Amino acid sequence: MNRLDYVVLVATILAIPLYGLWRTRGRETLGHYIKGDESIRWATIGLSVLATQAGPITFLSMPGQAYESGIGFVQNYFGQPFALITVCAVFVPIFQRLKVYTAYEYLGQRFDQKTRLLGAFLFLIQRGLAAGITIYAPAIILSALLGWRLNLTIWLAGGLVVAYTAFGGTKIVSITQRYQILIIFVGMALAFIIAVHRLPAGLSFGRALTVAGGMGKLQAVDFSLDPDRRYTFWSGIFGGFFLALSYFGADQSQVQRYLAGGSLTASRFGLLFNAVVKVPMQFLILLLGAMVFLFYQFEKPPIYFNRPAYDRAIALGHGAELNELQAEFDDVFARKRDLLSSSGVNSASRQEILQLDAKARELRDRAKAVLERAGASPKSKDSDYVFITFVLQHLPHGVVGLLIAVILCATMSATAATLNALGSTSAVDFYRPLIRPNAPDHHYVVATELLTIAWGLVAIGVASYASLVENLIETGNILGSIFYGSILGLFLVAFFLRSVRGSAVFFAALLAQCLVLILFWTLSISYLWYNLIGCAAVLVFSLALQRTIFAKSSPA
Amino acid sequence: MKGTDLQSEANGDSAPLFGSWAKDYCVALGIFAFEIVLFYAFTVLFS
Repeated sequence: MNRLDYVVLVATILAIPLYGLWRTRGRETLGHYIKGDESIRWATIGLSVLATQAGPITFLSMPGQAYESGIGFVQNYFGQPFALITVCAVFVPIFQRLKVYTAYEYLGQRFDQKTRLLGAFLFLIQRGLAAGITIYAPAIILSALLGWRLNLTIWLAGGLVVAYTAFGGTKIVSITQRYQILIIFVGMALAFIIAVHRLPAGLSFGRALTVAGGMGKLQAVDFSLDPDRRYTFWSGIFGGFFLALSYFGADQSQVQRYLAGGSLTASRFGLLFNAVVKVPMQFLILLLGAMVFLFYQFEKPPIYFNRPAYDRAIALGHGAELNELQAEFDDVFARKRDLLSSSGVNSASRQEILQLDAKARELRDRAKAVLERAGASPKSKDSDYVFITFVLQHLPHGVVGLLIAVILCATMSATAATLNALGSTSAVDFYRPLIRPNAPDHHYVVATELLTIAWGLVAIGVASYASLVENLIETGNILGSIFYGSILGLFLVAFFLRSVRGSAVFFAALLAQCLVLILFWTLSISYLWYNLIGCAAVLVFSLALQRTIFAKSSPA
Repeated sequence: MKGTDLQSEANGDSAPLFGSWAKDYCVALGIFAFEIVLFYAFTVLFS
């Protein structure tokens, strides 16, 4: 990075929050602080919902995911449109009609105070920890590759977002997210155009797609019913639906986004916007990864993209072993490149190209094994370093600064939404009913600001100790899957099981959460299943408890 | 909460684009279905 990159980076990440602060100046009521005002339109809500979900991992990991495994990962999002429409039809009208500040407030109205506190508590634990991971994941990658100090990077990403989120509440989060996601779109579009432009002369975009497809990277849809296949249309529709319904329906960081402004129409249009835009957006990000893959078929890639970890292993005495693998990898690369340049992927050359590609992957795996033996094993997958390495080494100055800004904008937008929700939930669901029930409105605004700052410090604290976590990116998803199921179960019981009352659902959720935790520690199934198990357990246990132990409290 | 009506509106500000929210949802699903068709065509064309 040179001076131009730093100017672009600093200007981008500072200008948006400063503009947001200017737009939200002045004293606010609690309602405005938590839900924004009527100036928040559907487009802002739509972009805000999009930005909240599209955290830094999306832009760092997704292209790397396509580089490794192709674009089939897009199918994981196929359930989302159905989930968003379900949220539009079922969740939003109820939340808007009751004019709740948080989703858990609704649980209090439908059931009782303890169920509301349980839902809010599960959310706070899960999101409080996940916020730290959201800050740490890009910080560890950027600090490794740019040579920045890790704590400085964590404070750069975390400190700024804590300050403006606490000051401006939901309105500033929505405004800044709108511009942050626009910067992200521009940055990713530029990266896409440059990646295509940097392909060898004579390789048109159409032919590039044919080559990438021939190498197995462009299978976007797979209707296979084989349960061993990782990403299929069916697993995306069913598994993705359930995960997305938990996230959009029961996670306050999303609920607060689409309730902003207080208009049912704006909330629904914002969510429907996501229903039609989200999947193509993920497709294009993955396609960018496929283009980066193609670029590295003609430009020699490193055997291991996480260069600092590779250099550590060399310093620890594993240089000879790694040099040997590197030489073999270079030879495989040269043979593959010559084949692709001379004949492309046709029926005669395809088998040999695929074999060489498999050999290159095997060599990368062996290099990783050497790093692990050397004790230089990194905290995230090597594929997470693919896109950022491409950016740093092959994009022009200025654009590099913009792409680093994209990563930090994504970090700030996702973190801001989370802190905003954590502060609001702590204030509305805990502080106001339990500690100061009848204080003036301004008192709660200040309390929410202070609680937002406190959660920001917790997130930065978690980020500072996140190096203890083995696999960063998985950790965020695992945390969500452990807690989302029970929280969604609470809401589904509230909406659809009219006979169930507060005590039954409260103890059902506690039992379900214990069950999920026990299964998590004892089984080795995919973590996505815990969403389903937790939710189903709440539904079944609550019905069983209502008809047995709590039968006397059933409605007449 | 008492008597939850899942179809009722919050504050009377509803103005769906195509006459009713059910039609709006169908349009959104139709667009999504079209996207799937495009992705599938893309897969068939380039894989």
